[in-house]
Amino acid sequence: MEGDRRTPSRQAQGLSDCPAASANACPAPWAVELRRVSFAYGASAEPALCEVTLKIEPGTMLGVVGASGAGKSTLVKTLNRLVPAFEAGRFEGEVRVGGRRLDGLRVCELAREVGMVFQDFEAQLFSTNVAHEVAFALEQFALARQEIARRIGPALSAVGLAGFERRDPTTLSGGEKQRLAIACALATEPAVLVLDEPTTDLDPQGRAEVFAAVRRLRGAGRTLIIVEHDLEELAVCDRLALLKEGRLTFEAPPAELFARPELVARCGLRLPDLAAVLKQLGIEEIARDVDEAEALVRGRYTLPGPAPAGGSPEGPAPGRAGQTKIGRPPLVEVRQLGLAYPASASEALSAVDLAVEAGEFVALVGKNGSGKSTLAKVLAGLLEPSRGRLLVDGKERSAAGRSHLKGDIGYVFQNPDHQIFAASVEEEIRFGPRNLGLSHRQTAERADQVLAAVGLDAVRQRDPFLLSKGERQRLAVAAVLALRPRLLILDEPTTGLDYREQRRMMALVAELNRQGIAIVMITHTPWLVADYARRVVLLDNGRKRFDGPVREFLGRPQMLAESAFGLPAATALSQRFGTTALSAGELVCWIRKHS
Amino acid sequence: MPIYLYIEGESWLHRLHPVVKVWALFAAFWSVYWVDQPLALVPLGLLMTVAAQAGGAWANFYRLRYLFAGVVFFTALSWMVFYRQGTPLIDTPLVRVSRASLLFGFGRGLKLAELLGTSVLFLSSTKIEEFGAGLTRLGVPYRVGFAITLAFRLVPLFIDSALTVVQAQRLRGYEFRRGGPLARMRRYVPVVVPVFMEALRKANAMAMALEARGFGAGGRPTSLIDRELRRSDRMAVALLGGLAVAYFLIYYAGYGAIRPD
Repeated sequence: MEGDRRTPSRQAQGLSDCPAASANACPAPWAVELRRVSFAYGASAEPALCEVTLKIEPGTMLGVVGASGAGKSTLVKTLNRLVPAFEAGRFEGEVRVGGRRLDGLRVCELAREVGMVFQDFEAQLFSTNVAHEVAFALEQFALARQEIARRIGPALSAVGLAGFERRDPTTLSGGEKQRLAIACALATEPAVLVLDEPTTDLDPQGRAEVFAAVRRLRGAGRTLIIVEHDLEELAVCDRLALLKEGRLTFEAPPAELFARPELVARCGLRLPDLAAVLKQLGIEEIARDVDEAEALVRGRYTLPGPAPAGGSPEGPAPGRAGQTKIGRPPLVEVRQLGLAYPASASEALSAVDLAVEAGEFVALVGKNGSGKSTLAKVLAGLLEPSRGRLLVDGKERSAAGRSHLKGDIGYVFQNPDHQIFAASVEEEIRFGPRNLGLSHRQTAERADQVLAAVGLDAVRQRDPFLLSKGERQRLAVAAVLALRPRLLILDEPTTGLDYREQRRMMALVAELNRQGIAIVMITHTPWLVADYARRVVLLDNGRKRFDGPVREFLGRPQMLAESAFGLPAATALSQRFGTTALSAGELVCWIRKHS
Repeated sequence: MPIYLYIEGESWLHRLHPVVKVWALFAAFWSVYWVDQPLALVPLGLLMTVAAQAGGAWANFYRLRYLFAGVVFFTALSWMVFYRQGTPLIDTPLVRVSRASLLFGFGRGLKLAELLGTSVLFLSSTKIEEFGAGLTRLGVPYRVGFAITLAFRLVPLFIDSALTVVQAQRLRGYEFRRGGPLARMRRYVPVVVPVFMEALRKANAMAMALEARGFGAGGRPTSLIDRELRRSDRMAVALLGGLAVAYFLIYYAGYGAIRPD
C-alpha cells in the first residue's frame, strides 16, 4: 500500500475500482487513518459518510473537496471526535491519529494532537486580546504560565501576526481573525492541523493571507488537511480527496484530478481556470500557476507577448452620475455622497457619485471596509448620508419618501438567516407583500410566482430552517422578489455556497436581470464578476476608484492588485499574451484564432 | 468601533491584581450601599475621579456622559416626587417636594452614578479574562467564571445581529411601531426568531470550537495572567478594606442617612 502511494502512476485511487486494501497489513505510522468510517446524523437514513477508508502520511498537505453535503466537514470532524461525540448519530468504523485509536477519547483531550480551525471565525474567538486568545487552549491543558508565554510568539509569527499580541480580536480583519484561529490551534503544537473551509467568509485579501500562512506551515512534519470548495487554491496540495454523497470517490495528487474534468463537474466542483484552458487546448500537462501555464501554452502555440506596462490609464473612468442612455433619470443616483459613522474619525464614504439605471448589472467590489455595504445600504435607504444627494427616479429621496423602503429597492443580506422567521417557505414569502397591504389572494399569487421563479415550489410548506444554505439563500431572494423591486441589491449572494449552488443562484439573478430588474451585487468572487456583471464599481477607502465595463476593469492589473482583487486565472493568463479574456472558454477561442 | 470598555494601559490601576480589582468593586458597592447623604458620597466620588484620572479612563466616562447625566437627573427627579417625608416646599396632590426629598433624590442619583462609575472604572482597567481569573481565584468555579466572561463577549455580537435583522425586516416593508405597547412587543417576533436561531447556531459552533481547543481537558486550568499578590496589591486591599469599614461606621454613627427635618 505504501509503495502504491509513492508510485505516481498508481497514486490515483479510484476507490470504486480499487477495494480498500487490508488496513491491518499496513504497519506504516500514518498521521491519520480512517477505516471504513460511516456516519449518519440523528435518525437520518442517508449516511453523511459511507465506508470511507483513507490514509494520510505524516507531513502531507491534503485537500478535501466536494459539493455541499458531500461529507467533507463530517469527515474532518471525525479526526478529533466532534463526530460522533458532539453530533448525535450512528457511527461505524475506526479512526486513528498518530496510530492511536480515538474510540472513547474526549474531544478536548485530542486538542493537542489535532488542531482544528472552523469556517466561522467569530464563533471560535473568545478573548479580548490576541495573546489571551492564543493562550486559551494552553491554559486548558494547565501549562505553566512561562510555557504559555513562550509559545504565544512563535504561534503568531507562524501566521504573520507577530506584534498583534495586544490587539482586540474584534478589531482584526476577517483574514487576520482566521489566521489568529490558526495560531491558536498551532500553539498546542498538534501533529495534524485541520482547516474546515477557513476562507469561505473572507475577501480575496483575507483568502490570500490565510493561504500564504498555510503554505508557510508546510513541512516540519505537520500534516495539513484543508476542506475547501475552490480547487484553484488547492493546486499546491500534495493530494486531494474527493467526496461525493459521503463516499470517497477519488484520492490522488491535484494534477490527476484536474486531468478528469468530467469527474470534477460530476461532483459539483469548478475546474480551475488553468486546467480548463490547457484541457481545451489539448495539453495534457497540468499547471500549478500562471507561469507554468504560459510556458505550456507557448510550447504549443506561437502567441504575442504581454501588452506594454502602463498602457491603460489608472484613474477612475469618467463619472457616470446623471448620465442615461435613453434620456430617463437613473433609477437611483447618489451625488457627492459622504457618510461618517458616529464615533468614527474618518468617513466610510467620501464624495461618491453613482447612478444605476434600469436593467443594469453592476458588481460592487473592493476590500473589506472599503464602503461597499455602506453604499448599498444608502441606496436602499437604510442609512442616512451625512453629505450629498440621494435621488430615486430623479427625485430627492426626501421627496420619494419612504417608498423605496417598501419594495422599489430590494436588499438581500449576505446571511439569509437574518430575515427568515416564518413557519413555512410560503409564509416567509407572503410576509413582505402582506406588509405592503396586499390582499390574501394577491400575496398568494405573488408567492406562487416567485416560488416557481426560484425553484422552491416543491418545498413551499417546509420549515425554512430545514432547508439547505443554498435553498435558504434562494428563499431570501424570493422573499425580496415578492415585493417586485426594480433594483435588487445582493450582498455577497454566493457566500458559503458550492459551485453548483453558486451557478444556480447566479442563473436566477441573471434571469431576473433579463426581465428588467437592475442588479447591484456586492461580491469578492472574481469569476462571478467576469461571468455575470456588465459594469464594475470599485470602492477603495470609501472613495470610488473605478466605474466602467468589466473588461476594462480586469485589464488594470496594477489597480486590481492594490485593491486586493484577484484576477481570474484565465484572465491573468490571457494578459501574458497581451489580451484580457473574461473566461477560460474565451481565452481558448482567442488563442486558436491568434496562434 | 471598539465594543468593550477596556482601555489598554500600564497605569497602577491596570497593574492591580485581578482579585484586588474584584475586591475594589465589592468595597465600592458596599460603601455606597450604607449611605444616602450626598455629602457622605462625595469622598467616594472624589476617590473615583482620582482613579479615573490615574487609570486613563476618562474617555469612557466621556463616552457615557449622557448616561451618567440621565441616571442622576431622572433618579433624583423621581425620588424627589415619591419621597413623602419632611416639611413640604411644594405640596400638590401629584407632587410633593421637601428639603429632605431633594437631598434624598440627589443622594440616590449620586449613588447610582457612583455604582455605574465604579463599574466603568473596573471595566476600563480590567480585561474580561482578568475578571474571570479574579473570580476563579476567589473560589468561583472556572466554568461559571468563563460563562460570565463569555457573556460579555457575546452580548455585542447578538445586538449587532438583532440590528441587522431589524434592517432586513424594515426593507420588507415591516413597521415595528404600530399599535399599543403589547402589540408592538408582539411585532418583534420577526426579529426575535432569527436572532434566537442565530444564537442557537452560534452557541453550537462555539461549543464545538471550545471543545476542539481543549476546554475542560481536565485539571484546574492555569492562567496567563495569574500571578502572586504584590506589595502594592496588599496595600490596595488594606486601603479598600479601610474605606469599607469607614463607610459602615458613617452609617452606624447615623451620618449617612437623610433626616427628614
